[in-house]
Amino acid sequence: MVYNKINKQFYNTILTQAFSPCGIFLITGDIYGVLSIFNLSKIVNPEGNISKEELTPKNRITVKEGFQINSLVSTQQHLLVGGYGEIYAYLWKNIKGSNKNIQPAWSIELPSGQDDFNKAEVNSMSFNETSGILYGGGGDSKIYLFNLERRTILKVLNGHTDYIHSINIKNNQILSGAEDGLVNIWDLRTYKITAKIEPHLNSKIARSHLGKWIGAVDCNEDYIVCGGGPRLTLYHYRFLTNCAIFPIDDEGIHVSNIFDDKVFAGGRSKLFYQANFNGDIVTEIPTSGATTYSVIKQSNPFKILSIAGSSAKIDISLNCMYKDQQLSLY
Amino acid sequence: MVKDPNSSAPLKKKRKTVHGEAETESDIYQKICDNEVKEAKSRDSAKDSKLYYQTLSKIHEQLIKVRDLKLLGPKGSSEQYESLSSFLAEVVINICLIKKLNRMDKLNQVSERDSLNVEKQKCDSIKLNYQNLVYEFHHLLNETNKCLAFKSEFENIELVSFEEFMANAPESITSEFKNLNLNDSEATHSLKLATLEWELTQRKNLAEQCKLLEDQKKKIVSDITEKNAKLNEISPLLNTILKAAKPLQEHLGLSTTEMREEHPLALLLADPLYILYANIVAYKGAFETTLTVTIVGDKDEATQFNEAQEVVNANFLNEDDSEPEFDLPEVEEVVEVKKRRHRKAVQQVDPFEEKKKKLLEMHPLKVEVNFFVEDGPELSVNFSYYTKLKLVTVNSKVKVPTKITANSAKEILAGHNILSELIDSDTGLESPNPSTGYLLKKMGLGSFQLLIPDIGYAYGWAQSVCGINFLTSKKFCEKLSQQNVEITLKIIRKRLANRTHLARQMQQLESNILPSIPKSIDVPMTHVSQLNKWTSISFQEFCQASFTQTLIDEDFVTSSDLFYSVKIVRGEAVLETLVVIKNTYPTPAPLFALNLNYKGELNSTNCDEIRDMERILNVEWDHGVKSSSWLLSAQLTYLCSFLDIYLETLDQKDFPPNTKFIRTISGRNRRRPFVFRKIGTGIFSQY
Repeated sequence: MVYNKINKQFYNTILTQAFSPCGIFLITGDIYGVLSIFNLSKIVNPEGNISKEELTPKNRITVKEGFQINSLVSTQQHLLVGGYGEIYAYLWKNIKGSNKNIQPAWSIELPSGQDDFNKAEVNSMSFNETSGILYGGGGDSKIYLFNLERRTILKVLNGHTDYIHSINIKNNQILSGAEDGLVNIWDLRTYKITAKIEPHLNSKIARSHLGKWIGAVDCNEDYIVCGGGPRLTLYHYRFLTNCAIFPIDDEGIHVSNIFDDKVFAGGRSKLFYQANFNGDIVTEIPTSGATTYSVIKQSNPFKILSIAGSSAKIDISLNCMYKDQQLSLY
Repeated sequence: MVKDPNSSAPLKKKRKTVHGEAETESDIYQKICDNEVKEAKSRDSAKDSKLYYQTLSKIHEQLIKVRDLKLLGPKGSSEQYESLSSFLAEVVINICLIKKLNRMDKLNQVSERDSLNVEKQKCDSIKLNYQNLVYEFHHLLNETNKCLAFKSEFENIELVSFEEFMANAPESITSEFKNLNLNDSEATHSLKLATLEWELTQRKNLAEQCKLLEDQKKKIVSDITEKNAKLNEISPLLNTILKAAKPLQEHLGLSTTEMREEHPLALLLADPLYILYANIVAYKGAFETTLTVTIVGDKDEATQFNEAQEVVNANFLNEDDSEPEFDLPEVEEVVEVKKRRHRKAVQQVDPFEEKKKKLLEMHPLKVEVNFFVEDGPELSVNFSYYTKLKLVTVNSKVKVPTKITANSAKEILAGHNILSELIDSDTGLESPNPSTGYLLKKMGLGSFQLLIPDIGYAYGWAQSVCGINFLTSKKFCEKLSQQNVEITLKIIRKRLANRTHLARQMQQLESNILPSIPKSIDVPMTHVSQLNKWTSISFQEFCQASFTQTLIDEDFVTSSDLFYSVKIVRGEAVLETLVVIKNTYPTPAPLFALNLNYKGELNSTNCDEIRDMERILNVEWDHGVKSSSWLLSAQLTYLCSFLDIYLETLDQKDFPPNTKFIRTISGRNRRRPFVFRKIGTGIFSQY
């Protein structure tokens, strides 16, 4: 029925996004297990009116029907898709092509949980181009290090008691934020936890009605930013002391990133926020969905910020100040 | 000196002949010639040639001697002189001899040539003979080749096989081939001839048979035509007998069945309704017995009306020019057909009312179709035909069984919406006849919807079951009706059944009971949340709710849908639920809009979990038409379980867990386990 079909997309949620290495394509992964491919070139340089066709996906790939896509990572060769208990790799040249039936080039299965209930979502992935190592964390509370060339597991890191929401690599360290409320900092040379932050223990930061989970974590040389059930907070990297709590009106943080000298954050909130390191909010962008799950930004070949979440709509901002355009899954 | 003994004799003879010459010149010459010829013949040419060369050498020697003598000069003696002259004499003799030889040779040559010629001629004639033979030979060869290459007709004739021939042909023909040697070409040839001959006789026989049969056929055909003619003569006779018998039959009361009584009434029906009636009667005869169809109306009135209509039609051509005046408020002109009408018109002075009445002229006969559902409601559908609007309109009534007492259940059965949107977006609120709009505008009567309370709903399907198709030029098409009657009746029947199912479910819902669901359907059984206050609401009320805006914006709901409200309660938490049921229930499935009142208002615009609940309720239900008896209940049962799950995963202290699930929360979107799996008493998971 027509109604049902529209309903299905209407209730869609986008959990993750990625740009192609050339920067022209935007890929989104949703809860139905579908990758949607958008061509951004027309949207960035609008000549006259943009047709509805250009605002909807040019192609769709069903990775695994009904199993949500949790994370995407783009490498020079492949698009890596973190699914349910499995990581899939698609060749960029296939994605950009016009072929409708695209199959993954290869996939790696996670060892834990063999039945359909117990598999681990791959909630977050990070790729180191120089070492060729892919870091992935998710449903089984472990961080996996994969050698992408050989597609084997190099190392498994155990340090969380509940599933991992977000991981991030910086130099020789990994930061991981999880449902158990911990932010662990790992040393990659020894594979040991060197430090941990527990935001929910700080009464100023904790929000007991939302829980202690950490939804997102990011860092640069000097700062760590994290949030989730607890408020979005900035920490000094060296001293691990809290230096700013952002005054954001939200019901849980799912995205926090440091781009240049700004903190980008979103979650269950009507707005998407940008703040400076002093803790002052610089910009607010209204979002289409109830919750923001994914924000990505690129500067080359054009500047673009894409915000997606629990909506079939994707908000596009070209100047990071206000919403320019809205892409739609249907 | 030395003389050839052979040659001396002829020389003597020669001299003799020379002597005789003088006597008889011609004779002698002839004789000499003959002699010479004879001599030439008898001589051997080889010897002659030898003699010739000898003579020449003698002359040579003698001449040398002569020269020697001469060189001696005059000193020579007489002796010498004598020998010189004798030598010279000998030379001369020898020259004579040479001359003779030459002549002989010449003669010989002549005779030889003659004989050669003779031989040559002989040779030529032989050669000619030979060439003739060769030519003849080639000619014969060609002829034989032609003969060999000749293709006769018989090769194209399909002959019976050898076995068949041996079996069927008479003994006299076949006897000689009993011990047939296939290598013997002559035998096979004669076999062939025999088979051909046999074939020929057979064919002749068959041709004769064919001729006989054809004759028979002609005879039979003529017989048939004759008998047909006789039968044709009989038929008018039978008709007159039938006519004559009618009064008698009536008198005896033989033809008073219900059907026959209604038929004259059927003939008075308006064309479209007649088509409908005829088709439904036919359909009923073929398929269903629980359906009844009757004609409602007064017979006399109908006859009068039809006659009046004919008069109007007859005048129609003349009135063509005056038609524009039709819309002028001249009451007198409008009323002319019937006295009764005239009276009414005078009573109602209002010209507007009169115009309206005129436009809404209805045929006095209606067709009523009744549908029954076993121990359920009875639906009666009334079809009327508006002659001026050229529309069929429908009024429906439902007899709700006494068992159904709930308001919402009654509502869903009663009223017009039971027939609404039988076919996509066919609400009956707009006239399917495109000319209606113009007619109404001309008369200043406003929109068609205002007329509906007076005339009934003008559903598109009602037009098509009556054979009216506004898209094509054909107005009344029986075929169209026939195609549609079956489909439409089936749809109405299905609709009625679906509505009955809905009504039964609502009957229980209104008393806060979740209706039971067949065991074959997997539904969670152990929910704590309770249903409360099932009521129907209007479209306006639905729109006023704060959380329905997105559904309205997306055009998921229309004002012709049915709206209900129900509350699902567990402890302090109250889930306000608005249900949209489409006229075409159960496809698509009812839509749900949710709003949870628990520590603030949570709905799809600010809470992903509520949105996910809505998603599963609204998206993943595609059980087809057969699910109508339990679909709504199943969705509500799920909803109760979903509320349990949400509350239990949110706060385990206030809401002690009752539902079984594997993981409370998983994924970056902190997904709740809203997927039900029938394992044991039932487990919920995220996937």
